[in-house]
Amino acid sequence: MTMAATHHDTSVETAAPPTRKQPDRTALLLAPGVLWMLLFLVAPILMMVYVSFWTQTTFKIEPTLTLKSWVAFFSSETYLGALWTTIRIWLIVLVSTLLVGYPAALFVGLFVKNKTLSTALLVLCVIPFWTSFLIRVLAWRPMLGKEGAINMILMKIGVITQPIEVLLFSELSVIIGMTQIYCVFMVGPIAFMLGRIDPSVIEAAQDLGAGFWRIFRTIILPLSMPGVVVGAIFVSVMVLGEFATSAALSGRKVNLLGNIIVTQVGSLKWAFAAVAGVVLTILMGAVVAALLRVVDLRKEL
Amino acid sequence: MNASGIKLGLGFYTALFIVFLYGPLAILAVLSFQIGPEGGPQFPIIEWSTYWYKHLFGLTPPSRIAPLPIEQALVRSLALAVMTMIVSTVLGVTAAQAFRKKFRGSGVVFYLIVLGMMVPGVLVGLGMALVANTLGIDRHWWGTAFVLHVVYTFPFAFLVMLAIFNRFDPSVEEAAWSLGVTPARTFRKVTFPLIFPGVLSAMLFAFTLSYDEFSRTLFASGRDLTLPLAIYGTFSVEVHPNVFAFGVLTTLFSFALLGTYAVLMGLSVRRAKRVAIQEEA
Repeated sequence: MTMAATHHDTSVETAAPPTRKQPDRTALLLAPGVLWMLLFLVAPILMMVYVSFWTQTTFKIEPTLTLKSWVAFFSSETYLGALWTTIRIWLIVLVSTLLVGYPAALFVGLFVKNKTLSTALLVLCVIPFWTSFLIRVLAWRPMLGKEGAINMILMKIGVITQPIEVLLFSELSVIIGMTQIYCVFMVGPIAFMLGRIDPSVIEAAQDLGAGFWRIFRTIILPLSMPGVVVGAIFVSVMVLGEFATSAALSGRKVNLLGNIIVTQVGSLKWAFAAVAGVVLTILMGAVVAALLRVVDLRKEL
Repeated sequence: MNASGIKLGLGFYTALFIVFLYGPLAILAVLSFQIGPEGGPQFPIIEWSTYWYKHLFGLTPPSRIAPLPIEQALVRSLALAVMTMIVSTVLGVTAAQAFRKKFRGSGVVFYLIVLGMMVPGVLVGLGMALVANTLGIDRHWWGTAFVLHVVYTFPFAFLVMLAIFNRFDPSVEEAAWSLGVTPARTFRKVTFPLIFPGVLSAMLFAFTLSYDEFSRTLFASGRDLTLPLAIYGTFSVEVHPNVFAFGVLTTLFSFALLGTYAVLMGLSVRRAKRVAIQEEA
């Protein structure tokens, strides 16, 4: 820029062509990516909304518009039950990832003063993501089963005499599995926000005689809220779209909306699957919008 | 005094937290060395053996436990990951390159791209299956599933490249242009070597995400299985330690990939330093 200003006469000649070409080039550079997203992301989602109003016959769908599938969804106990289960599991997992993740984030983001150590701890949290998601889900089976590691240890140290059967193939196992898999998405953003707190603020509070809990309530917690919201958005979107964890760990006892979609597609009930998909999309949109209301991210980040 | 007690407590908690993250995987790894074919997927270990690893490669005498269909699936998964990696990295670099200039509607385009990594696989997968069904297209891993993999990984590549370009000094390129070098040649000779570490990261992201991707593939890939689909198939039946052995192997593969990335990254950083020193001298 400064060069262009000082050597005005020479640089105009050479610098002008790229600037004049810029608008077309931007469009050209963007076109492939935007087109890809419109064709393979936006179009399928719109298709899903459209198909939810189609007429479902035994194995086929016909493009005659009807509300039948919607009525069927909202008058069926199975579907409404799945909707309720999805909301319940989402809320429980959201709270449990926050409770499990926050103390770890507090340690990594605020208490570890050594930069290398805190980075190493965060990397340690992220490494499991380099292994297959399905393997991580499956790894809970030998942990929680009737003859699993937890029952074995508890029986050896004499806490229980009978194995706890409710650990696996129950709602509890789904919640445990999801909490473990998704809590890192809470730890990351919260630790990031905590790391940005100016230590002198906390020192000042200490010098004025505030105890740890008071500092936590009035300084640390409010300042970490944007991290909590970002983490909650990550966890919510992923948990609401889940079906693999419940398929692996619940023994078909927990049916989420995602599981309903998988089954319906399997039996070629496309219109019902589409209705469940639209309901899920609306639910997700509402949750994210509500979370964004809690904290104005643009102002805070 | 109080604060150090809290620090100790939180440190202890964090250690437990790490155990919580790694514990199940460790147990799974241990149980993969169970004796076969009679040993089940639980403690105690009757006898240590590598039976299930041999079982995985079809090196054991036939037993009632069917081998995992991994051979074909592995080839497909690798091919799919490579295809996805190439396309999403190219798309990511070009889109991020466009974002270096301010333009109208950049906010909308940004959200459109990032949407790809936010929308759950069930929804895009279902949508794509519906589109294919309506248009009468057969679903294949190299077709409908591949385009969805790119929808998922392209945003990651884009964000990585955006971060790289943010710290990029445009005056180097301007210097090349003002010397009369064509934009294409400038990109090849000046821009690309400078952004190479970013490109490498984008490739790593795209490859691993695609290699492990499963919910999109489940809906969009038709009959042929990829590796994650082969694992998913075992969910509904009794699990044998061969799945655990497989889990250990794919984890090792992922780490090897990460290691390769680290080595390449180290080399490129060292080369950059050497060039910088030469220029100073």
